[in-house]
Amino acid sequence: MTKNSPSLRLSRRLRPRGLAGLVAVRIALAVLTLVVVSIIVFASTQLLPGNAAKAKLGKQATRASLTALEKQLGLDQSAFHQYVHFVGGLLRGDPGNSLTSGQPIMADLTPRLANSAFLVLVAAAISIPLSLLIGSVAAVRRDGILDEISSFLQRVLASIPEFVIGLALIALFATSVLQVFPAVSIIPPGSPPWSNLDAIWLPALTLVLVVTPNIALIMRAAMIEVLESDYIESARLTGVPERRIVVRHALPNALAPAFQVIALNLAYLAGGVIVVESVFSYTGVGVAMRDAVLNRDFPTAQVVTMIIAGVYVVTNLAADIGTILVTPRLRTRLA
Amino acid sequence: MPTEHTSDDGSVSPDRFWAARAVSRRQALLGAGGIAATVALSSCTGSGPSTTPSGPASGNPAPTSVPGSSGPSGTPKRGGKLSVAVEGNGLKDIMDAQNDLAKIDQARAVTGWEPLLEFDRDFKLSTTGLAESVEADGRLGYVIKLRKGVEFHNGKTLTADDAVYSLQRLTDPKLGLDGGTGLLSADPKNIKKIDTYTVRLGLKRPDVTIPFGLASYTATMVPEGYKNTGKSWQDGQVGTGPFRLTSFSPGQRSEHERFANYRLSGKPYLDNVTILDIDDPNARMNALISGQVQAIADVPYTQTNVITQQPSLVLFNNAGGGWLTLCMRIDQAPFTDVRVRQAFRLIVDRNQMLQNALGGFGRVANDLYAPFDPAYLQVPQREQDLEKAKSLLRAAGHENLTIDLQTSEVAAGLNAMCQVFAQQAKGAGVTVNVKVMDSTTFNNGFQKWTFSPDFWGTRNYLPQVAQGSLKGAPYNETYWPPKGSNFASLYQQALAEQDAGKQTDIIHEMMREEFDTGGYIIPFFDNLVDAYSNKVGGFQKNRGTLNLDYYGRHFADVYLV
Repeated sequence: MTKNSPSLRLSRRLRPRGLAGLVAVRIALAVLTLVVVSIIVFASTQLLPGNAAKAKLGKQATRASLTALEKQLGLDQSAFHQYVHFVGGLLRGDPGNSLTSGQPIMADLTPRLANSAFLVLVAAAISIPLSLLIGSVAAVRRDGILDEISSFLQRVLASIPEFVIGLALIALFATSVLQVFPAVSIIPPGSPPWSNLDAIWLPALTLVLVVTPNIALIMRAAMIEVLESDYIESARLTGVPERRIVVRHALPNALAPAFQVIALNLAYLAGGVIVVESVFSYTGVGVAMRDAVLNRDFPTAQVVTMIIAGVYVVTNLAADIGTILVTPRLRTRLA
Repeated sequence: MPTEHTSDDGSVSPDRFWAARAVSRRQALLGAGGIAATVALSSCTGSGPSTTPSGPASGNPAPTSVPGSSGPSGTPKRGGKLSVAVEGNGLKDIMDAQNDLAKIDQARAVTGWEPLLEFDRDFKLSTTGLAESVEADGRLGYVIKLRKGVEFHNGKTLTADDAVYSLQRLTDPKLGLDGGTGLLSADPKNIKKIDTYTVRLGLKRPDVTIPFGLASYTATMVPEGYKNTGKSWQDGQVGTGPFRLTSFSPGQRSEHERFANYRLSGKPYLDNVTILDIDDPNARMNALISGQVQAIADVPYTQTNVITQQPSLVLFNNAGGGWLTLCMRIDQAPFTDVRVRQAFRLIVDRNQMLQNALGGFGRVANDLYAPFDPAYLQVPQREQDLEKAKSLLRAAGHENLTIDLQTSEVAAGLNAMCQVFAQQAKGAGVTVNVKVMDSTTFNNGFQKWTFSPDFWGTRNYLPQVAQGSLKGAPYNETYWPPKGSNFASLYQQALAEQDAGKQTDIIHEMMREEFDTGGYIIPFFDNLVDAYSNKVGGFQKNRGTLNLDYYGRHFADVYLV
């Protein structure tokens, strides 16, 4: 799946400029992507019925209070004007105020970003090594009892939506069976997420269970492919110990496809965290995004989308670079 | 300093009165000037929907409970911290002593602020609030005597200047505060200080319902110059209530600390209250079960067994006067034809709808609101009659009618109610397309949908009419009254009528018209179903609008066991 991926074909064409050139082009493309995403997000928020003022006042909106609030929020301006105003602010490094709370967007979003990032990092730090290990072991002991069990479990987990996993974990560890972890991840405002580790276990475990099967399945397949290749065969024939074959020769070559899947899953974590945060009422960007759409707070929705899109772009770029670095042929071609 | 106050039980001397009707009701309650026989309703709840009060105002003196009487297990204890989870409003959470947009705003406001008059737990007016008395002064005014020695959270004493400012803020049409919606007859330019503790509230038109407006939970007293921008009491969020605000994070939580100089000595019992914004009802229940919070508002009707299965939790079921309704716009086809409205009302099997939409947590209603009003009209229960519905629709030329019903779960049970109605309508050959949408889209179409559900809290009849059943009323979904009706002039007569008997006659005439031809389908009064841990005492049965016994009456009556 990787040998002819579009990014690598692209990299081949850009060979003379090397790795730096590749990165520069990819960043340019990323900015273009973000611009397109922002226009799409803005257009869709405009298409939704109602605006931030109506969303805030709800049924209690009177004509007078609605007009006053719309004026205060700048919603009486044309859509084009609102968009240009927002982008202008963004370019100056100030995305402006939330239409819902009236507070600076980043003031509310920064602690939420820290919370979400910490959750994603914890989940990634556990699930990536774990899945690589499971995938490799399953490939080396292929069709053994361990492989059968882990493959079965992975397929089951991969087919369950994340909110079901989350609810099952709550029932198991917080409410019905055991009561060892809190059911709702309450993080007091103003305190960093790492000082509330209690609150992080269940959402992190949910994400781990969602992500690990995906990476492990690909890692297993890649590892099997490598282990069956000619050079591994010749290494075996020359008497290289099996352990050394696996660690030194097979693993690095199986990592290239795994990097791509890890990138996809990290990107998924950045967006998919929305659902998991909702299940646990975790104070993160996910809930902020959901509320922003519901409240028609387009600047906040824009900023969150930009951040999530940015994570997608960066992780994919990192995966491509990682693939190049672990694939000698690509590495030498770029050098 | 804490000061002495009138007795806790809300009794008032019979010579104090604010309106003829209120007095007549009070006299019925008090008998020959004595203290009402008080029966403390157990705050232990029934585990099922059968714990309903004796029904809509029967004319008999209803038992009233004593605020502050002991809860389920012994005497109140000082100290401790209570965490409560309430359905939130995300970043739309506000902190305004006189306004609310969502339930969590109500919870926050009652911790620190109090109105001039109060409703007791039996939904009767009482002078346990910040006013010693509110008396009619001619037909166009009320004289309000403030309780002396009431202290604000910052040490300032409550005086007439604060009351004048508070009333002016409430009645400022530009602010559109919820607390002002019961004071629409008040004249903002005619609110005058008489002396340090006396204020006269002038009216634009006679209105005997003003005392009810003054008892609304958002018609609170704030210090002169109050603004809603602060996030703590040091920052200007100052009231007279039992707890003062120490922090407020929209969409997350607010923290409240005990106000040592609260006017009721010995109260509150708790040191701290935390109100958590937890949107998802399942998450709220899980937080309660896992012990992260000690009380939650709004248990989903279909999941009450989750609470009752836990021996350490109490399901708190209160039969109030709130109601859910399907609203038919009488100015739009097909509901311009009264026969279609009548047919739709006959489609409903109310008991089945109550069971299916609310799990039985409510009482069947009769297309009329204000069940606790002494003037509530007693008419035979309207029952499902599909044949009659069909023949009415045929006569109106609307056989095989197809109609959209826009809905959103802005209150628990609305979507289910609409689905059940669609099912029942099939029996009369009516196709109802239920369109479920998000709350903003739904609210954006408020008063525009031809056919949609809505929800209301506990109110007496005339204040409710002012809110929803008059031309220009802020929440008139049905566009009542119809052209040519004398409903509006009857309303004005009733407002000005000081004779209770005559006023009741007028109200009966108005209710009769709504019962025969109105635009509301009111299938049931919905209960407030909350839950709390058995480590908490002091919650008592309450017929009012706010969850959790008016949040343990400002959280002043609850304590940790």
